[in-house]
Amino acid sequence: MADFFSSMRVSATGLDAQMKRMNTVSSNIANAETPGYKRKDAEFTATPDRESFGDILNNKMDESVQGVVVSDVHEDERPPKLVYKPDDPRANAEGYVEMPNVNPVEEMADMISAQRSYEANVTAIGAATQMANKALELGR
Amino acid sequence: MIKVFDPTIRALNQDLSLREQNQNVIAGNIANADTPGYKAKAVSFEHAMREALDMQDGVKLETDDPEQFGSKGPEDVQADVYDDPNGVESLDGNTVDRAAEMAKMKENQILYNASVESLRKKLGMLEYGITEGGGNK
Repeated sequence: MADFFSSMRVSATGLDAQMKRMNTVSSNIANAETPGYKRKDAEFTATPDRESFGDILNNKMDESVQGVVVSDVHEDERPPKLVYKPDDPRANAEGYVEMPNVNPVEEMADMISAQRSYEANVTAIGAATQMANKALELGR
Repeated sequence: MIKVFDPTIRALNQDLSLREQNQNVIAGNIANADTPGYKAKAVSFEHAMREALDMQDGVKLETDDPEQFGSKGPEDVQADVYDDPNGVESLDGNTVDRAAEMAKMKENQILYNASVESLRKKLGMLEYGITEGGGNK
């Protein structure tokens, strides 16, 4: 059933996904100096908006309206930064310590992007709410 | 068959439900603005609606058989949902333009409000007629 609640549900999946992305960014920034840490990345996948089994059954609401989920949080496979610290207990035989492959500038850009996307989803919920309330004026 | 609601009311009614659908599609696009490989969806129904309304005015076809041509009223107009061909693919294969989606959403919202307002006026006039100009308005 296509209604404004569908729009709100979809936007809510957007909020949830952006929040999880923000969490991985926070984790990356917090661990930017933790030896052995690997940068994490949230992977987004589109998912059909289906509220109930009935929706799936009659499949009336086609695939045109899709929400989003974080399907996986995977590790960034880029090589770690090697820092020469022979006195560190975690140093390898050559005296290098594996520092995270986190680029703070990249994380900041990612954070801003997540924040803007979050705000866009909030605006979409606001629009749906306003339209639903406007329709109620018909009964007045 | 006598219809209480004239084509304008029926067109406005259908317009509301189509704009509702449009809002859903736009919300889906915004939610997937960062999803790799997602293709932005677009909704179009304005042209079909205009054609349905032109049919009402220009060609008069009197028939009780809904199967016959010409029986397509504004309430039968369906939205056409398709992958937006104007979308520019970014490096991850996503074609959502956030700014354009926000603009489309606002436009849709304003037109929805306009339709609600028009429908309110039409229903008010109908009520005025039913209550013989008086009523508890």
